Amino acid sequence: MTQERYWRYTLLGMLFTVLATLIVGQMLRFQFDTEQAEKIKRRAEDYQHSMHTIYPARGQIFDRWGHLLAGNTTVYEVGVELQNVNNPHTIALTLNVVLGLDYTKVRTAVEQPASADAVYVVLDDFVSQEKIDVLEQYKDEIKKGYGSGKGKESPDLSGLVYVPHLRRTYPEKDLASNVLGFLGRDQEGNLKGYYGVEAKYDDQLAGLPVTVWLPTDPNLVSEMPNVPDGTSLILTIDREIQAAMESLLDSTLESSGAESGTIVVLDPKTGEILAMATTPRLDLNKYWRYDEVFKKDTPFNRAISQAYEPGSVYKVLSMASALDKGAVKPDTTFLDTGIIEVGGVQIYNWNRGVWGPQDMQGCLQHSLNVCLSWVATQLGAKDFYAYMQAFSIGHQTGVDMAGETPGRLKVPGDTDWYEADLATNSFGQGVSATPIQMAAAIAAVANEGKMMVPHVVKARIVNGVQYNTEPRIAGMPITAETAHTLQELLSRSLEKEASTSLVDGYRIAGKTGTAEIPTPFGYTSGQTNASFVGWGPLDDTRFLVYIWLEKPQSSIWGSEVAAPVFSKAASRLVVFLNIPPDKERRVLYGQ
Amino acid sequence: MNTIQNLAQAYAQTPWRKQVQIIGLVLLCVLFTVLIASIYLNVSARAATYGREILLMQEEIQRLQLENADLKTRLGILLSSKEMETRALEMGFEPVEKGESVYVVVPGYVARQPVILASAPPAENAVVVTLPPRFTESLVDWFKERLMLPDRPAEVIQ
Repeated sequence: MTQERYWRYTLLGMLFTVLATLIVGQMLRFQFDTEQAEKIKRRAEDYQHSMHTIYPARGQIFDRWGHLLAGNTTVYEVGVELQNVNNPHTIALTLNVVLGLDYTKVRTAVEQPASADAVYVVLDDFVSQEKIDVLEQYKDEIKKGYGSGKGKESPDLSGLVYVPHLRRTYPEKDLASNVLGFLGRDQEGNLKGYYGVEAKYDDQLAGLPVTVWLPTDPNLVSEMPNVPDGTSLILTIDREIQAAMESLLDSTLESSGAESGTIVVLDPKTGEILAMATTPRLDLNKYWRYDEVFKKDTPFNRAISQAYEPGSVYKVLSMASALDKGAVKPDTTFLDTGIIEVGGVQIYNWNRGVWGPQDMQGCLQHSLNVCLSWVATQLGAKDFYAYMQAFSIGHQTGVDMAGETPGRLKVPGDTDWYEADLATNSFGQGVSATPIQMAAAIAAVANEGKMMVPHVVKARIVNGVQYNTEPRIAGMPITAETAHTLQELLSRSLEKEASTSLVDGYRIAGKTGTAEIPTPFGYTSGQTNASFVGWGPLDDTRFLVYIWLEKPQSSIWGSEVAAPVFSKAASRLVVFLNIPPDKERRVLYGQ
Repeated sequence: MNTIQNLAQAYAQTPWRKQVQIIGLVLLCVLFTVLIASIYLNVSARAATYGREILLMQEEIQRLQLENADLKTRLGILLSSKEMETRALEMGFEPVEKGESVYVVVPGYVARQPVILASAPPAENAVVVTLPPRFTESLVDWFKERLMLPDRPAEVIQ
């Protein structure tokens, strides 16, 4: 070995020794400097994995027959990866033509240089599949025409990317919109359910997002967790009945000139809400028009969020209480002199007339305020308000939709309660309740005294398993006997006065209501709330309909504007619910 | 002394033979290393390929889930109340009015039932079939248990 070679080998040997010593030294240093070691370890892990949050698909909403009311469609977020952009002009021009975006804004956004802080820019969101197909077509044509030629001059859409995600879609648009609510974004930009079942069941519909660390190294590929979809809901709403009631309500508003209206249809035996039509309605696919549709303090769903003085329909509850307590009997006679004084306030009948001797059926048939005030005094304030509370007046019914208001029932002991309130409350003045409260309370009369909790969710589908909602009893404010007696009184009342609410071939029970709308100066507006509550068929009650028309113009009386609406609604319901006329039903059941 | 030297010389291998042996040993090591490296590379390459395929399949699953949700909603739109009503009217159907229906008794007829879109929850008192430990425990488990509980009565085999 020559001297020169010897030195070379020695030098190499020394170099490797120094390197090895450094490596070993570094390794040893890490053993003692744990902070540094942890930092490096964390950095290494950061490079090895990236964090992903997987959002489950929002649960769907169906009507009781499985028709889709709320689902999800794929839409795209359109953006650019800045480092891959070759020709900002092509991108800006294409997006201007296809998506209608502002050319200058897009070009400015796309032209910014890629940096650690600017990697990706979102240009548009909620772009439909059709638009993406057009963009794809442009991309292909440009590729074919100009190849992958680089340079600022040749047209190029490199860098333009589309990220798919789901968007809430309501196939029925504004149908049952007040029941469903909608999915929007809160101030932080997070998805959030607003109103109706979308808000009430927001957490369940949204499901649980899962955050996972996924390895960037394909050798370390790990299984993506199976994130279950959010809970799907099957509602008690019948799409066809809902559509029919909305159509009926719209035509009624047009013919009566009423400011707004509400129709609630429920099954008194279960508390299932079959339809809840109200105004205004919103195309849920365009929820951003909310302010345009719901002006000022207009509630999203009047049926549960707007309490009003119901007027004479309330007499059903007053009479039910008095009959149940035994304060009066159906044949109790009351001599109507056209005026009664309670607590220093004089009460008159709706027409200020004198009706002479009347039994309880007459009192209901002619809707006599004086008589009902007397009935309430016979019952006494303590029992009257105890019954009203048992009917859930002044309390929320517990309906499973967001935004329910409890209304107001003044009771003895409240600073603003006066003795005269007992009389006025008996015929639905000085007390406020929502249509759903009134419907649920009066449904007790139609259901042998049992009051059911009104609800719209029939079943929940969680992880592929369907859990049905069992009907819940809210209470039994009156006995079955009282319910039968009152039902009979109300039915005969309608028949005797040949009410426009009657349905040919079917025996029904019901009550009209006309309530003057109070102003700060008293009942001076001349405007009314016209209502009607009715149910049938009496031998096997299948539906209860509550109607409220706000400020009707064609007539102020519930018997003239609301009662015929019930007749029309019931005529549709017997078809939808396959209810044969009473006579035929008896024959069929006899077989 | 000479005799010993002669003997050692007589049994000593020739230099070329030693060289061949060293070269052979080195080659053997190289071969072994190459073998291990190629196996490692092969396994790594396959793992990477499968990993990539899994990622692609996961992407495909996500894409199909989106498409599935999309199709369901499109179907919902096509079958929406207004669409169906329009189509029915176009086909000459008319809404049935009260009094137009004819009701007859059909033996065995079951009225339309509310929809069932998923399976019912399992019964709470569902019988859970469990295998006896002798079918699932390992020999080590069995041995451990025997050592820890030597007085355990013998399992009755039915």
